[in-house]
Amino acid sequence: MNKGRSGESLERKTARWGWFFVAPGVLFFSAFSLYPILNAFWTSFFNKKLLSLKPPKFIGLDNYGKVLSSPDFWNSVGATAIFAAGAFVPMFLLSLLFAVLVTSRTRWRRGIQMALYSPAVLSSVVAALIWLLMFDPRGLANQMANALMRTPGIDHKWLADATMVRISTIVVYVWKYVGYFTILFVTGIGKIPQSVNEAAVIDGANAFQRFFRITLPLLKPTTVLVSVMILIQCLKTFSTQYLFTQRGAPLGPINVLTLNIYNTALRDQNLGRASVMAVLLFAFMLLLSWTQIRFSRSGELES
Amino acid sequence: MKRMAALAAFAIFAASAFAQAPVIPELKGKAMEITIWTHEDPNRVPIEQRYIAEFMAANPSVKVTYVTYPSAKIREIITTGFAANQGPDIFNLELFDEYPFITNGRVAPVDFKMAGSKDLKDLESKYLPGMLTSVIDGGKAYGLPVELTNWCVYLNKKIFRDAGLDPDKDWPKTWEDVMAVSEKLVKRDGQIITRRGFDFRYPYYLTSIVPMVEQLGGELVSRDGKAILNDAAWLKVLQYFKDFGPNGKNLGSPTYTDARKLFDNDKNEIAMSLSGLYQEARMKNANPAFYNSKDWMVIPFPQWKDAKKKVPNNYYGHYYMVNAQSPKIEQQASWALLSYMLSHGQEYLEKVAIVQPMKALMESATLKAMPYSDVFVKDMNAAHMVYYGASSSKIDAMLKEAFESVMLAGVEPQKALDKLRKDVTAALAEQ
Repeated sequence: MNKGRSGESLERKTARWGWFFVAPGVLFFSAFSLYPILNAFWTSFFNKKLLSLKPPKFIGLDNYGKVLSSPDFWNSVGATAIFAAGAFVPMFLLSLLFAVLVTSRTRWRRGIQMALYSPAVLSSVVAALIWLLMFDPRGLANQMANALMRTPGIDHKWLADATMVRISTIVVYVWKYVGYFTILFVTGIGKIPQSVNEAAVIDGANAFQRFFRITLPLLKPTTVLVSVMILIQCLKTFSTQYLFTQRGAPLGPINVLTLNIYNTALRDQNLGRASVMAVLLFAFMLLLSWTQIRFSRSGELES
Repeated sequence: MKRMAALAAFAIFAASAFAQAPVIPELKGKAMEITIWTHEDPNRVPIEQRYIAEFMAANPSVKVTYVTYPSAKIREIITTGFAANQGPDIFNLELFDEYPFITNGRVAPVDFKMAGSKDLKDLESKYLPGMLTSVIDGGKAYGLPVELTNWCVYLNKKIFRDAGLDPDKDWPKTWEDVMAVSEKLVKRDGQIITRRGFDFRYPYYLTSIVPMVEQLGGELVSRDGKAILNDAAWLKVLQYFKDFGPNGKNLGSPTYTDARKLFDNDKNEIAMSLSGLYQEARMKNANPAFYNSKDWMVIPFPQWKDAKKKVPNNYYGHYYMVNAQSPKIEQQASWALLSYMLSHGQEYLEKVAIVQPMKALMESATLKAMPYSDVFVKDMNAAHMVYYGASSSKIDAMLKEAFESVMLAGVEPQKALDKLRKDVTAALAEQ
């Protein structure tokens, strides 16, 4: 083993510098992610009220029982599942499609990438506010939909119908994040050796075959990463639903878990129950990520 | 006449230029910073900032930071601030939103001496009977009212005439009239409404919708603590909303721009909207030509044709309160400052059109001279205070959910009512 003058291995020295460089990230994660997670877990066992100055009472699993038997919680689970499924499929397919289009072009490539990515730069609140103006009954969404479908004067009730309001939140989310995931796919496609594609061309493979036989299989690590990230992003959705309900959209159909957590904490002032929902959401996201990564690894082994 | 107006203007200018806030001996030499969080109001903010400047000039050791937030956001901002034990020294909210702050021990009791009163009895004697009851607990008062407000219906006469109606005769007296008149006034481009006849103040269900139920004999919370009484009354109001909304007669919806905000513009977008007397001051500011025209009027809060009792729109109070976690000396300074600010009831009335519930102000010539103030006063005399309790904010949100689910999401009134009863009962049991 390579030893330094002090007899310390190079590996250990490198590791020490590694710790030095990751320390800010670890500290940041500990303060703003790990501590709140642990705190939420702890709080979920107490009868803690937001405004109360009295010390919270330990109530064991009582909050868990109340939350799990609450129809509102299960409605939120349903709303979150519908949103996640509804946003995941178009977001995944569109970002992959855009990535293929971007990488296949030489002209305007940067411009298209910028145009696709620009909504991701906006804050979620600004994005939701822009779309609120568009979804106003007299706004652009109705005008464009009616012009395209040749249905003048129809109010598509973007915010005033249970199904449409779900679709509206999905539209906003896909519009906002599709560019971000496109960039991830573009990076993944860029890592595929050009020589593999060139060999396939020489062998007579057409574009369709190259995509399904070469690009897609070699893109598997990126695909897994992007799908996990999209799902987690969808489960964390909040601002769009929050702002839409503030502007009169019905709560039930879009009362996703994060919004329920917010309302339980701030409106109902019940931090204990809000923490239970936060813990359950976190556990579900953890399980989902683990399953997805494990599934993709087993696929790798088989192949 | 012009000379009189000039003299009056000079008198107001002189009064404000030489206004002298009291010097508080207890605060002398004690440096401190007081923060006030309040809701935006283009007419109230400048006068309150002036009172604060005067108070700081008289008490130089006190620095006051005055922060305003949008009305729709302030409850959450104040709640978050208090949850983090970083609440402001002084704040105000609508009574049903700020009452939980009292029940959770977040509000300091009024310091009678600093507030310019001898004791609770003396403080109460300055207001109309019962006006402090909602903020009194255990012989202590926890707030000073900056306004007591009820809503009536503002009506645009031009739009009525445009629809072939005579505003002086055809103004709606009942909720059935509101629906019928709205159908005549509404204009649409296909299904999309371009002019509404009437629309509600949607997020304010406790204030404005519960009275509709009470008119029919229903109750939100009974004296013995039971929730949602008289299903027939509730179902009738829920059905009314269903019929009124986009899936019914398509006369209005919470997803359109707030009716109150559009009314002042006088752009043929809304014929009737609910608001308080303060709307007159806002209209005067935003659209003086419309304010000075004879093209608008105010009518009483409608009643049902088969109403069991007359119940106008609930009145609600905005009370200034002081943070119990602020140091004692800052609490004293806060009550002294509030006492000084609120001693200008006449100016609040003249410039902001908000009324402190004091006998002198309610009977003042200023109030009587304000257009249609008699309509507001008459309705207020027959009305009662909005429901407030430890869970009032939560219950307001539950009402919103129930009514909007029926109006927009296609939920049947009976199903929405059953859920509402269950939710409100649970909220009451937990408080």
